Formats: sequence, C-alpha cells, structure tokens
Amino acid sequence: MTGDLVGAPVHRLEDAALLTGTARFTDDIELPGTVEAAFVRSPHPHALIRSVDSTAARNLAGVHAVFSHADLAPLLTRNLIPPDNPTLKFAESTRAVVLAKDEVCHVGEIVAIVLADSRYVAEDAVALVDVAYEVLPSVSDCRDALAPGAARVHRDAPDNVVATFRAEYGDCGPAFAAAAHVLPLSLRQHRGGGHPIEGRGIVARFDPATEGLTVWSSTQGAHRVRDALVVLYGLDETRVRAITPDVGGGFGSKHIVYPEEVVVAGAALALKRPVKWIEDRREHFLAAIQERDQYWDIEVAADADGRLLGLRGSMVHDQGAYTLLGFNVAHNATLAVPGPYLLPNYRLDVTIAATNRVGTIPVRGAGYPEGTFAMERAMDAIADELGADRAEIRRRNLIPADRIPYELPLKARDGSTTHYESGDFPACMEKALESAGHDRFAERQAAARDAGRYIGMGVANCTKITGRGPFETGIVRIGPSGRITVHTGAMAMGQGIKTAYAQICADQFGVDPGAVKVITGDTGTVPMGIGGFGSRQTVTAGSSIHLASVEVREKALKTAAHMLEVSDRDLDLKDGTISVAGVPDLSVSLADVAKALSGAIGYARPKDMPPGLEASVNFLPTGLTYGNSAHVVEVEVDVGTGGVRITRYLVVNDSGRLINPTIVEGQIVGGVAHGIGNALFEWMGYDDAGQPVTTTFAEYLLPTAPVVPNVEIVHHETPSTVNPLGVKGVGEAGVIPAAAAVMSAIESALAPFGVRIRETPISPPRLVELIGEAKAGS
Amino acid sequence: MTTFRGANCGLGAKPVCSVFTDTGSNATEGSGGVEMRYEAPETMKAAVALLASDEHGRVLAGGTDLLVQLRADTIEPSLVVDIKKIDEMCAITRENGGFRIGAAVTGAELGEHEAFKSVWPGVVEALELIGSTQIQGRATMGGNLCNASPAADSVPAMIAAGAIATIEGPDGRRDVPVGEVATGPGRTSLRAGELVASFLFPEQAPRTGDAYLRFIPRTEMDIAVVGAGVCLTLDDSDVCVAAKVSLGAVAARALAPEAAAKALIGTPVDDAALAELSRAASAAAQPIDDKRGTREFRIQVTGVMARRAAETALARAKGA
Ligand SMILES: Cc1cc2nc3c(=O)[nH]c(=O)nc-3n(C[C@H](O)[C@H](O)[C@H](O)COP(=O)(O)OP(=O)(O)OC[C@H]3O[C@@H](n4cnc5c(N)ncnc54)[C@H](O)[C@@H]3O)c2cc1C
Repeated sequence: MTGDLVGAPVHRLEDAALLTGTARFTDDIELPGTVEAAFVRSPHPHALIRSVDSTAARNLAGVHAVFSHADLAPLLTRNLIPPDNPTLKFAESTRAVVLAKDEVCHVGEIVAIVLADSRYVAEDAVALVDVAYEVLPSVSDCRDALAPGAARVHRDAPDNVVATFRAEYGDCGPAFAAAAHVLPLSLRQHRGGGHPIEGRGIVARFDPATEGLTVWSSTQGAHRVRDALVVLYGLDETRVRAITPDVGGGFGSKHIVYPEEVVVAGAALALKRPVKWIEDRREHFLAAIQERDQYWDIEVAADADGRLLGLRGSMVHDQGAYTLLGFNVAHNATLAVPGPYLLPNYRLDVTIAATNRVGTIPVRGAGYPEGTFAMERAMDAIADELGADRAEIRRRNLIPADRIPYELPLKARDGSTTHYESGDFPACMEKALESAGHDRFAERQAAARDAGRYIGMGVANCTKITGRGPFETGIVRIGPSGRITVHTGAMAMGQGIKTAYAQICADQFGVDPGAVKVITGDTGTVPMGIGGFGSRQTVTAGSSIHLASVEVREKALKTAAHMLEVSDRDLDLKDGTISVAGVPDLSVSLADVAKALSGAIGYARPKDMPPGLEASVNFLPTGLTYGNSAHVVEVEVDVGTGGVRITRYLVVNDSGRLINPTIVEGQIVGGVAHGIGNALFEWMGYDDAGQPVTTTFAEYLLPTAPVVPNVEIVHHETPSTVNPLGVKGVGEAGVIPAAAAVMSAIESALAPFGVRIRETPISPPRLVELIGEAKAGS
Repeated sequence: MTTFRGANCGLGAKPVCSVFTDTGSNATEGSGGVEMRYEAPETMKAAVALLASDEHGRVLAGGTDLLVQLRADTIEPSLVVDIKKIDEMCAITRENGGFRIGAAVTGAELGEHEAFKSVWPGVVEALELIGSTQIQGRATMGGNLCNASPAADSVPAMIAAGAIATIEGPDGRRDVPVGEVATGPGRTSLRAGELVASFLFPEQAPRTGDAYLRFIPRTEMDIAVVGAGVCLTLDDSDVCVAAKVSLGAVAARALAPEAAAKALIGTPVDDAALAELSRAASAAAQPIDDKRGTREFRIQVTGVMARRAAETALARAKGA
C-alpha cells in the first residue's frame, strides 16, 4: 500500500447528504409528465383468474391505462422472469412470471398495473378493477406441502417438491454406530424478511428520440435489472440504462429482479412517458421476498469427550410459490453447518418445498444463520449431555490454528470445496470469552439466582463464505480536470462502500478520500456488474479498484517522468501533484498528465503511452475467503413473563484486513441487530391457507434501539490470502451466530428449569410455555 | 377483543395499523367519498352542537388514533370536531382537593405537571407508556379512553385511581366512572352528540399509592399484551384499607375485578395477599388467543403484572 488511508476510520462520505436530507432516493427522481403506478394484487393464496375487467378503472378521471397480462403480453418476449442461479434442476412450475395470466399462487401476486396522474387516483382505480377469481385449495406450511394428498401450490405441478439435494462427506453410518453419544435435535427456524426502511421502487422513462429506456431502481443489482429488461422486451443492451440512486437498505430484499420492475418498465415503453412506482410497507410485507422457514431433523454423534463424530439428518426448506433466485438459502445452510468446527462425517438431505406464500431468497446471512444455529444447538446439546462447560466443548471441536489452511470436502454451489485459507478460530473465541469474563460468570450467575434473578451467558461461533466472484469491475479515471473518478458495478445501499472505495483509490494518489468521486450502480458507466449481496463487494470491487488505482498511478508517474525528463523512480506523488524528489518546483499535476494523455491534434503523445489516464480492472478472485466470528451474549430472563433482556453483547470478528474500522463496526452492529430480531422478535405469520397475518410493523416486530444493546467489538485481523487487499467480507458477519448465541444465553439463564430452545424466534409466550413444560417434565 | 383480523390481514381487508385503530363493528362508517368538514370550535356548547348535528361526526383530540384510522380508511367521518381550541378541554385545575384534567390535555403536559405526578404517579406512568415522545406530545387520556381499545394503557390506571369522566352532551353534563365509558373494542357508552370534557381525580386519601405496569414483547412502541393498574391505601399500621385493581388487554374492555381488590384489603399486602391477588387477577382475565400471546400466557402474565404493580403501589403508599 502506498498511503495510510486504508485502515483509517475515515468519516463516511455518504453521511453529509444523508444527514442533511440531500440524498436522492428513487422517490426523489421527479420527471415531468410522470404517471404513477399502483398494482392490483391477488387477495388469495391460490386462485384461478377467470376474467379481469378494468372498464370502470379505465373510466376513472386521471387514469391513463390499466395493463393486465393480456395487455402487456404483446410487448414481452416471454412471461417468465429470468432465473438467476439455476444451479439445480427444479420444478418448472415455480418459475416466476411477470404478470399472472390465469393463476395466482400467493397473496400479493400482481395481476394488473394501474397508471394514473397520482398514486391516490391509481389506488382508487385499483379498487375498481374487477378480477373474477376462482379460489383453489392452497398450502401454507412447507411441511404440510410435502404431506401426501396436500393441495398443489401450482395447479399443474405433480407435487410441491421444487428440488432435493444432499450435502455429504465422510461416512456417517460407522461414525454413529461407534459414538458414545447420539443426540437428536428437531429445529424450527424462521427468518422474516429484509425490511429495509426504504422499500422497493422504480422510475422508468422511454425516450423515443434515442430509443433509450432508462430506469432508476432501488435495487441491489442494477446490471441484472438492465439485463432482464433487455431480454424480456427484446431490447439492445446499449439502449437500456439502469441507475441506482441512493438506497435505504437492501438486506436481500432488493437482490432479485421483480415483476413490478419489469411491468413498470413495460408501462413506460407502452405509454411513452415516465412511470413511477414506490412500494408501500404493506406491499413489502406481501410481495417482497422473505427468507422464512426451515425445519431440521438431525442427530449429532460425539465421542465420550464431546468431540464431534458426525451430524446427519434432513431439512425441509420453504421456497414459497416461486423460485426467484435459486437455492442459495438451503445450500448455504448446509454449507454453514461444519462452520469453524472439526466435523468428520456429515450428511444432510434437503427437500425444497413450494408453498402458497411469497417466494424466499437470501436475507442478510443467506442460510448461514440457520446452519450455524443447527451446529451451535448441537454443541450446547453435547455440553448438556456431558454436563460440561459449553465453551469447553467448543474449544475441543474448533479447528486449531495450525490446521489452517483447512480443506472441507464440502462443495459450494460453484463446485469449489470449502477452503479456509486463513483465520484463527480458537483465538477469536478465547478473546471473546475473556472479554466477557466467562470464567467468572458462574459465580455471578449463582449469586443472581440466589436473589431470584435468571441471568445467562451464551457463546456461538461461525464462519461465513465471502467475496464471491466471478468479478466486479473497477474503473479509475482521471480526466483533464484532474478529478479522480471510480466507476464500479458494485452496489452501494447504505453500507458506506463508496467511502471504502475512495480510501482504497485515494491512497494511491496521496489525496483526500473526499477528492475521489465514486459512482456505483450505473450500467451506463460500467458495462458489466454482478451486484451487492453475499458480503462480496469489498473483496471483488475493492480489489479491482485497488489494482486499477495502482495501474493509473504507475501510468501517471511514467508519463510525468517523460514530461519532466527524469526517471520515474525520482518522482513523488502527493496531493495530486507529481514532483521531482527534492525539487518541488519541478512538478506536474495529475490534470497536466491527464491532459497530455488525452492527446491534442498535431502534438506528440508521451512516448509508448496509450491514451487516457485510466484503467479498468476485473480482479478475478482465485477462491472464496471466509470470515469468522465469535459472539458472547449475556441475558436476563424474566421467568414471570418470558421477557428477555440482552444485557451485554460482545463480538470478536475476523474480516481480514480492515479498510475502515468504523464502517466495519457499523456493519457488525447492524448484523447483530438483525440477529436479535431473528432471535426474539421477527415473525412473518401466515394462516393455514397462506394469508399473511403480520402486515404492519405493529404486528411484525423489528428490534428497536432500546432492545439492541451496545455491541462491543474486538477485531481479530488475519489477512485474506486470496486478494491483494487481504480483505474478507463483513456485510453479513454480525447476523450469523447472533440467534444461536442469544438462545444459548437464554438456555444458560434457564438452566435450573432445563429449558431447551430448538427454534427461532422465541417469543415471551413461547418461553413461558417452555418453562412450564420443563417444570412439568422435571 | 383485540382485534387482529386473522385471515384478513393480507389483502382481504383494508389496512389496519394496530389494535388501536381497529374500531371493531364500527369499522367503516360514514358514507364513502363524502367531503370531510373540519371544525375547531372554541366553546363546549359549540362542540356539542356540531356533534349533535352530524351522526357521522368525530371528535379530534391528539389525532394519534383518529388520523391513523382516517388514513387507513377504516373510518370516513363527514365532520371532524377538533376540541383543542376549547380552554376547558386543555386545562388542569384543582377541585375539592382533587384534580380536574381536561380531556384534551396531552400526555406530555401531564407528565410535566409535578403536582399531579406526585399524587398519581401510576396514572402518569401509564400515559407515558403511550407510543413515543412524539406521540405523547399529541396523545390524550380522552382519546385513549374514547378510542376504546381494550389495550389502552391509561384506562386501567384511571380506573384504579377512581377517576370520573365528565361528559357533555345535548342534554347537559353527567359524571360517570371511567370504567363505564368504553363498552367494547371501538365502542363507548357515549350518546349521540356527547363527548368527554374532563376527568376528575378525587382527593386522594393519605397513604395511598398507585402504579401501572404493562407487558409487551419489546420494550418500546408496542401494544400492551397485559396491563395492570393498582391503587391502594394503607392505614397507620400498614394494613390495606382500600384498593382498586384494573386489568387491560385481557377482555373486551378494561376489567376491575372485585376479588383482586379484596385480596389486598384488610391485609398488610404481604406475600400471601400478593399471591392471592395474583390468583384473583389471573382468574378474572378473559383473554383471547392471538399473535401477541396465547390465552394461557395472558392469564399467567396478568397475575404477574398485578402483583408487581401492587408491590410498586405499596412502596409508594408507604413512601407517601
Ligand atoms: C405510534 C403509536 C403508538 C401508540 N402507542 C400506544 C400505546 O403504547 N398505548 C396506548 O394505549 N395507545 C397507543 N397508541 C394509540 C393512541 O396514541 C392513544 O390511544 C392516544 O391516547 C389517543 O389519544 P388522541 O388524543 O390522539 O386521540 P384521537 O386520535 O384524537 O381520538 C381517538 C378516538 O377518541 C375519540 N375522542 C377523542 N377525544 C374524545 C373526547 N374528548 N370525547 C369523545 N371522544 C373523543 C376520537 O373521536 C377518536 O375516535 C399509539 C398510537 C400510535 C400512532
């Protein structure tokens, strides 16, 4: 590295605009002549559409058009949303449609779009669209979906199995036969939705003069939105531009291309005027992706000392009505199970079931919280069985530092095996235990119990796959203005990633990060892009930007050497100025260099230098890099009400080299808050038919500031070996072991009753019920 | 009672913000699409006349329930009568050693009224649980009572305190105990053209303490799963001579079970009395199962909340 910006807690460049209200979100895009959209959505979990009569709606003053499937079909090349990661063969019936033609398979599925002068008029008109439905039997719970004789989620499907797969290595049979302890666990895991504070939204404009379609979308993948529109409307990719303005959070819920985005763009093409749709919260509850349910039936085998011998069993995963992305959540959950532990034998059979609920895809953590929860519950079960300390059992099973690099014979989606290239898992846990005062906790706990109070301490560890490729472009450009601009296909959605990129780039030019303009989420400036998910963008785009910055720096120095007629070894680059060492008057600015490289008619360019002071790099990671965290949580449980209060939360985190500790800590705290929500509050309820029953924030509880404690963070930096910056992803790190650690702490608090927690989330009524059952059982 | 619209919460029904906005069988009234008139009279008489003139009229106090309901289309009044311009509605005065609180006094104002707070800390703590700082700047006890949510926080505290609602209407003024105003979710005993003008908190006996406690899954911004208000009076030898217990969110309206109060009266409010209170409170609860808590859970927690509220009230009575 050249400068000292990488690693510095630089203030986020994004914040001034956010704090002064000058940030621009999708809803802030105001184009003259815009019509606003509202959607007609299915009120039924499963129904046939007999007819759609929009006469009355069309006749309402201020309504421009109503499009149902029949109206939009002529524009579409097909009615199917392109699947993103079709890594498994899966039931074709679950391919997501753009607009329902004759069947709706979940509440909230779009049937028609209404376009009007304002959203108010559009919503009034929605109420006037007369859709004749014939209600069909539906299935809500993924276990029921697999039962013989279950109602079909899709009328034409033979059953509700979307796909099945097995994650396996070693040989569980003999391992279990020889085991001193075999413990069964039935786990019910629920994760709600992403719930960014800014919902989804899109503005689309078609310009007949250039035949250009421009969309501004609050998305985690501008390029994927562009690509979908290109395919679905048969357009030319150079004529379609997707721009992502400021984004108020994604957390997975903006990771896919949604039917709403496609339909709004189609409406703009049809009407030849701008169309805007801003999701309201209710629509988010009904039609934005969720992660939801997994049911695990597993058993774990351990030797007499509590060392793992094997883990096996089955899992049912709720896919919802449509396969919107692939099978990442289920896949990742199986990959996450061994985590930081030595697990010699493993077999998990997974069934992905369709249900008449909105589709599921990854929410922050993407299956890792579930796999981690399963393993950590198993750890606690072994400790309880042996009467051993929970941390001690983990200590015996963690992969020792001297066995890193460590190869797990478990294949990821892309066929690669899990390869822990760096890290020290035991050190992280020990640091966490020590900071939390774990060895003195038993005393404090005993004293509290004497006073009638139930306090507990829980611990959980995890690893997390990060930095998924294939690549993310980094372009660094210095024009004759001397301004430095970074373009990347990576997506900013509130993480602070623009600041991190600015730091990486500014370091090469000795300038302030504020002097680097970072442009993300604009397909007009970068031809290819993958997007923001899976804790990948600092690794991929960060590395590309670093390499591109180094290249531009070298080119600037070489060119300056030519201009100043000295050797480039004698040059310093500081504050955007290149000068001869020891002779500050002999200098050129980056602007001068850029000007020289931009060429002028009749003048010779610097020798051997291709034109332009810029570089574009697509860093190709040679492998994935794994983050690791240890969480220790202290809780107090009110046994009268089942109320849980988190009194202390400690994280030791290894995200490799830190670009900006403040941003990393922000990501960890945010992740922990999500995890606390998953552990104690967030529950997306459906009735037996598949009708959602929690569609407001009064019913679906998010963790609020008072329930998220001060999170104490200790960094344990082991640089990654697979990228030039040494970084590992951190966007999801905080959430992964959180629910597991909280449950472990609650069990510890309730040890006198012998309460065992096998589910997320755990509500006060449920906890009171478990305490009652445990009392009755003892 | 509380009021989640189970199978309807998705698209089957109009959006419902929370139990506070759900006005049960009165859910949609008025005639769709009619213009809404807004009036802000300055006298009680004018307010009563306006309300009497339009059967689809509504009182507007802080609006923290009313506006939510308007936006969610669960009500469509043709007339809204803002009562905040009426002096009497916004006044806090002393009356015969007690306090008279105008129905439009906000939670925030009462929370800063040191004299009232020192006498009725339980009522104030109930009010201060409503929503957030922003909500408390608007929310009133009158609105909390007349919205008639079974989970309304200030209502059990007012009942335990023995507060009287003074009602103004076309036929004049009448006084009724607070417990008789709400009759069920979204329903009150107010007659056409009537409104609550103020609340009288009668002079308090010496050595009296009150307290309100609620249980919610989250520590903030949530709706009571169970609420309990207790007010008790001790004699010089620390024996309880008077008590009122009121329970919220465990029936169609706030309850005031006699047996729970009796469990305390004549006792030194010792462990045995508190255990009996707890049992009696649980026995009185008639909750439903819903997303926020099962019937069994609510019954158990009712006992726990009543006991804890009584412990606080006892400490306050002794300290007073
Ligand atoms: C975010 C949020 C959080 C909340 N949290 C809580 C909570 O924790 N606990 C709780 O109990 N409530 C809560 N509420 C509900 C609400 O704030 C309370 O019920 C509040 O006390 C209502 O008072 P208001 O003055 O705003 O009533 P308004 O909305 O003005 O009126 C409510 C109803 O009462 C009628 N009304 C008002 N005053 C009179 C009167 N003097 N005579 C006759 N009728 C009248 C109105 O016509 C209307 O039907 C919350 C609301 C929100 C929006």
